[in-house]
Amino acid sequence: MEPEISNQSLFFLIIFVIVPLALSYYYQLGVSKNVIWSTVRGTVQLFAIGYILTFLFDLPARYGIPFMLTVMIIIATFHARQKGKDLPYVGFILFGGLLAIEVGVLSLWLLFDMIQFRPSEVIPMSGMVIGNSMTAMGLALERMKTEFKENNGRLLASLSLGAEPKQASHLIVQNTLHASLIPNVDRLKTIGLVQLPGMMTGLILGGVSPVMAIKYQLVISLSIFSSVSLSAMFITLCMYRYFFNKNKQLLQTDEEIRSSRS
Amino acid sequence: MFRFEHVYQGVLQDINFTIEKQDKVILFGPSGAGKSTLLFLLNRLNDPEKGDIYFNGKPIEEHSITALRKQVGLVLQAPNLFPGTVLDNIKYGPSLFGEWEDHQGKKLLDYVQLPSDYLERDVDQLSGGERQRVSLARTLANSPEVLLLDEPTSALDYRTAEEIEEVLECLMEEHQLTMLMVTHNLNQARRLGNRGLFISDGKIVEDGKIPDMFDQPKTEELAKFLEQ
Repeated sequence: MEPEISNQSLFFLIIFVIVPLALSYYYQLGVSKNVIWSTVRGTVQLFAIGYILTFLFDLPARYGIPFMLTVMIIIATFHARQKGKDLPYVGFILFGGLLAIEVGVLSLWLLFDMIQFRPSEVIPMSGMVIGNSMTAMGLALERMKTEFKENNGRLLASLSLGAEPKQASHLIVQNTLHASLIPNVDRLKTIGLVQLPGMMTGLILGGVSPVMAIKYQLVISLSIFSSVSLSAMFITLCMYRYFFNKNKQLLQTDEEIRSSRS
Repeated sequence: MFRFEHVYQGVLQDINFTIEKQDKVILFGPSGAGKSTLLFLLNRLNDPEKGDIYFNGKPIEEHSITALRKQVGLVLQAPNLFPGTVLDNIKYGPSLFGEWEDHQGKKLLDYVQLPSDYLERDVDQLSGGERQRVSLARTLANSPEVLLLDEPTSALDYRTAEEIEEVLECLMEEHQLTMLMVTHNLNQARRLGNRGLFISDGKIVEDGKIPDMFDQPKTEELAKFLEQ
């Protein structure tokens, strides 16, 4: 029998909301509205996605999977784009990158028989890959913009000595990738030691044996590790060039970057 | 060597002048007058919005950008050294063109009057004056014909600034370089330059020999500036 949380039990989750609400009220933090709104919104979103997933899982895989993956990638693109909206073509590049990574990872999963081409397996696993790649791309974009601003003098010095934009940005690319990959490496190092990963926890709660849950967790953790690394690398290597114009000159303001390709 | 014809860029308006080989030109004037912008145009870190710049008789845009930047070296106000050792920094330029030879290191440090054991020193361990010398050596490593200096001593204390000035004086004599230097220090301008360009509000207000300009300014604007 599947483990189930009754609606009555679920109702008592309200206690977990009352605690931060009380704290906010007592210390006059002014976040009470936000706490209530986030809780209601999160609950509605989760139930909605629950019903959508139930519907999609019932569809034939060849329709349900491409449909849901496309929706996920489009939403992820719009979300990550916020971090680099001044950069030209960033939306297309993010979409292309996320799509290529998802198709690559999914192909490997299916090729090596790690999962079945079933919505109930492909959609949650792909969601994790796309979500983590989206975060990695967003962070890389943000970090790259900061690096370009902070290293303005070095970039000018490098260009003035005759460096090509690619050579001048080497340090920026290196720093961006380093900053994007280190948390990823650290996360993998401590996996299972500090907290049990979400997917594994979910499978164990769902009645799957811990060893089987670990196998799934390994598939997803290593897939995320690889896709996050690739995402950061892809977006950094694609986007650094937009900080320069065709005359190998550094574009120093958001306005210059925006208008450089128009 | 350089010719500006009706050049406009940012604050710069209708700039016209010629620089001959081995000229030692001092660009001076109030802050925000466009002096650094002018240097950036010569190294092509920027292009004019309007007008033409000629280098060695050819429009500047007909030269390969990277080759031009190698020929027209720029030293910025802040040293902006790259992480690593002094050697990593000074071989940066020549390595881009596959021209670095190890024996050059000591010679370059000698030019800027730093001991040769500094080559392996991490740039984080250098003082402000040493960093500016390394920055100068890094630009000289490319063997430029023209040296552009954007207030290279403004962030340094008086004594260190004087030392850098001495280094520059020796370099100019030894290497027959053409130089354009932005400075707010009029004594430095007198010592290092033979020609002055006084820029104010984006325009060249006076162009002449340094001693004449300082002793007998032709315009009221320059006279006022010198008084300040």
